Amino acid sequence: MATNAPHEGESREPIVAHHFNNIRQQHASVRFGMWIFLVTEVLFFGGVLCAYAATRIWYPKEFEAGSTALNPFIASINTFLLLTSSFTITLAIRAAYKGQHTGLRLWLASTIVLGTVFLGFKAREYYGDYEEGLIPGPLKTQVDDVDTNGKPILREVSVFAVNLKHVLEHKGGKAKEISDKMTWNERDRTQIFFVFYYGMTGLHVLHMIVGIGLLIWQLLLAQLGFFKPTERFIYIEVMSLYWHFVDLVWIFLFPLLYMAGKHSMDGIF
Amino acid sequence: MSDHVQKPIVFEQDHAEPASVATSTLTFLFLAGLSCLAMMIGFTDLGAVKVWISLGIACVQGIILTVFFMDLRHADKLTWLTAMAAVFWTFLLFLFTLTDYLTRHYYAF
Amino acid sequence: MATSTAATENLTESVLELDYTPQMAPPVTDLDGPPKVHYLNHSFGWLSWLLTVDHKRIGILYLIPLTIFFMCGGIAAGLVRLNLIQPYGAILELDQYNKAFTAHGTIMLFLFLIPVIPGVLGNFFVPMMIGAKDMAFPKLNLASWYVWMAGAMFFIAALLFGGLDTGWTFYPPYSSKYSHTNVLAAGLGVFITGFSSILTGLNIIATVHKMRAPGMTWGRLPLFVWAMYATSIIQILATPVLAMAVCLLATERIFQVGIFDPTLGGDPLLFQHLFWYYSHPAVYIMILPGMGVINEVITCFSRKNIFGYKAVAWSSVGIAVVGFLVWGHHMFLSGQGIYLGLVFSVLTMLVAIPSAVKVFNWTATLYGGQITYEAPMLFVIGFIVLFTIGGLTGLFLGIIGTDIHLHDTYFVIAHFHFTMVGGMMFAWQAGLHFYWPKMTGKMYSDFWSRMAAVIMLVGFSLTFLPQFIAGYHGLPRRYPYYPVEFQMMNILSTAGATIQGFGYLMPAVYLPLSLFFGRNAGANPWRATGLEWQTPSPPTPHNFEELPIVTHAPYEYALPSKYNLESGHAYEVTKGESGGH
Repeated sequence: MATNAPHEGESREPIVAHHFNNIRQQHASVRFGMWIFLVTEVLFFGGVLCAYAATRIWYPKEFEAGSTALNPFIASINTFLLLTSSFTITLAIRAAYKGQHTGLRLWLASTIVLGTVFLGFKAREYYGDYEEGLIPGPLKTQVDDVDTNGKPILREVSVFAVNLKHVLEHKGGKAKEISDKMTWNERDRTQIFFVFYYGMTGLHVLHMIVGIGLLIWQLLLAQLGFFKPTERFIYIEVMSLYWHFVDLVWIFLFPLLYMAGKHSMDGIF
Repeated sequence: MSDHVQKPIVFEQDHAEPASVATSTLTFLFLAGLSCLAMMIGFTDLGAVKVWISLGIACVQGIILTVFFMDLRHADKLTWLTAMAAVFWTFLLFLFTLTDYLTRHYYAF
Repeated sequence: MATSTAATENLTESVLELDYTPQMAPPVTDLDGPPKVHYLNHSFGWLSWLLTVDHKRIGILYLIPLTIFFMCGGIAAGLVRLNLIQPYGAILELDQYNKAFTAHGTIMLFLFLIPVIPGVLGNFFVPMMIGAKDMAFPKLNLASWYVWMAGAMFFIAALLFGGLDTGWTFYPPYSSKYSHTNVLAAGLGVFITGFSSILTGLNIIATVHKMRAPGMTWGRLPLFVWAMYATSIIQILATPVLAMAVCLLATERIFQVGIFDPTLGGDPLLFQHLFWYYSHPAVYIMILPGMGVINEVITCFSRKNIFGYKAVAWSSVGIAVVGFLVWGHHMFLSGQGIYLGLVFSVLTMLVAIPSAVKVFNWTATLYGGQITYEAPMLFVIGFIVLFTIGGLTGLFLGIIGTDIHLHDTYFVIAHFHFTMVGGMMFAWQAGLHFYWPKMTGKMYSDFWSRMAAVIMLVGFSLTFLPQFIAGYHGLPRRYPYYPVEFQMMNILSTAGATIQGFGYLMPAVYLPLSLFFGRNAGANPWRATGLEWQTPSPPTPHNFEELPIVTHAPYEYALPSKYNLESGHAYEVTKGESGGH
């Protein structure tokens, strides 16, 4: 893998590592190794997706409300950013394979830029959620409510539930309709959706950060001429497998987290 | 042992060169188109079927991404097997866990 | 050794006449002692070990901490057993008791049973058995050791400073809400060691697929490699789900949100599903490598080809796959859907099939063999007996009806100790004793090693057989107190545990001593087939001088047809040889 590559004096390092018999064996092993790693990644995200599915079966209403409270526009832009970065890294493999070193650096750099912009938007989105107070937690407050007999009481609910109510009412339209139909208990439980939201996007962001780190390293190596022997295109290819996988995760997160609720286009402007 | 002639070891003879620019571009455009579709569906109110349609689109996108971008179409059987194993074992996890959630309220006695 | 060599030379001639395979011929290096340059002495100093990418050295790097962790886990077990001498506890406070059994379970599982054979024997011998110079990713292999050490240190620190009292299963809501011990730190330790487990599995799969020598077809892979391959499949497919379960648990504990906490709308069973999706296959991670070792040893010491190679090879993969379909049998009584429980109960029966295929094939291998009882073979005999008992009692627990009676009793404890200790621990000892001459080039004491095997077997049986009875009569597991009528059973158990502990200490003495006082083992002291025995002991840094070419199946101790035709002659020769040993 790319991490196995030496940091300096690349020209002295043999292209075929000492324990391989030939370049084909090395390519096959490296590629296969990354595929196996991706299998573990699929199962890793599979675990949380399974938990998500089980919980959503129990609480469809809460998940709809939680998703409605999210900001779908930033996520939509981010989808296209990631798809484009998948495209550029594919071009980078080809450039490395053909020995076009300027092209390689260009495409690697653009992948890094697209990934970073994604993270920037994501940070903005998190900040928005933070400002709206959509943070699950044990903090409690009291609100006016009525008990089963219609008698007014003070009810202890989580701060999150109050914030969720405000956000949905502020969005208006269908969001407000959803909010009006919810009980305080349901608003409280919407926290679970947000745990999944932060957990899943957080893990995805973590994978993006690792990926961008590795890409920067490869850009550095490309600068140093590590990819001059075109046989080393394999490291870019293996890196791209990982990057595509991160994209794939997002493709599934997008409908599950952002599109599970009711959105209207009014909020754009 | 020495009388055996060593045969050359051949690995993945069938692996082709990386995808051409045209293929990559087409794949990208296709994926982007599907993403647009996913958003159109996401912003409309289809009720209960919405999640299934969205997931269906995501699966199609995933297949295209794996087969074309991740070059599974040129890969050998082993790589296909690896990819399928991931899908199958995730399916197992979902199968049993969700069966529990969907049947837990049926009592035997 | 001298008499044995003479006999071996006699054998050589008759062997060639008998048209035995070339692998049968004793290697010429037998008398030469260790090679001048081998993997242990080709470089010196701490750094040469800590920065090594040689799979053999990494195997040794695993061996040392694993032994220490086993002792830690053993001490914790000793504390638990001592405490149970008296109905109201002999030495420990209640919370200390909880921490002691948790430390025993977690250390033994996560820090010993799971990494021991893949880490030591897998790393050391898989490349050698398939004729490769190294693992597919040597640097990743070293990284995997560092990750494992970091996780293990973290885990041990968590246990020492504050402890953990959740049991090894980490069930919420106790672990997420009520426990005041180091759940987070221990969970992080499990997460990190799991990552190492994944990387080791990845490396072994890639190695088996891509690094085999020419002629080493799948039908010629030693069965240990098949077993390691199946183990690795489980490692890469199951471990990530545990990692996710631990992540979610940590999230719940840190932010006090409800994924598993029922008072906040979560579901504790969700954790159990995710946890057992890993942890049931994980018991096959623990036992499969042991089963692999058994194949190597049992063929060697019965001088016979394995009976039913294909069946044994595929039963490993079968266990790996079917092992994923049965996790719900841990949750029969925890509120899972009753019909799903029935399905799991039926599927659990399926696991018995490949396991039984293995046991029957081993016994069939013994049949008509020229059996000699060196220490590794004694351990293997112990394994087969104990594992069979453990496996059959597993059926009691897999059937939903009987499990309702036996659930969470000492019956369960006895069952899984018969498979994990009687199975895996004995297999590990067999493997260690079998491969010790290859790894170090030195021979240990024949007498003391046989004694150790017998003492372990006696101690083990005395410890755990009474627990079956106690459990059947309803003694629940994990309780510090028990009714007085169970005291005799517990005293028997504790006495057995003491004998067992003494047995485990013996190899810790005579094996290190053999490094200084043992005679040179020679390249192939057991006259075993297989590529790893064709290298000198200890092996040279790159294992093979030139790329080996494999022309034979792994266990061709005798060609069956010839063997039958001239069995009288072959009998004479082999008997004479085994007497000389």
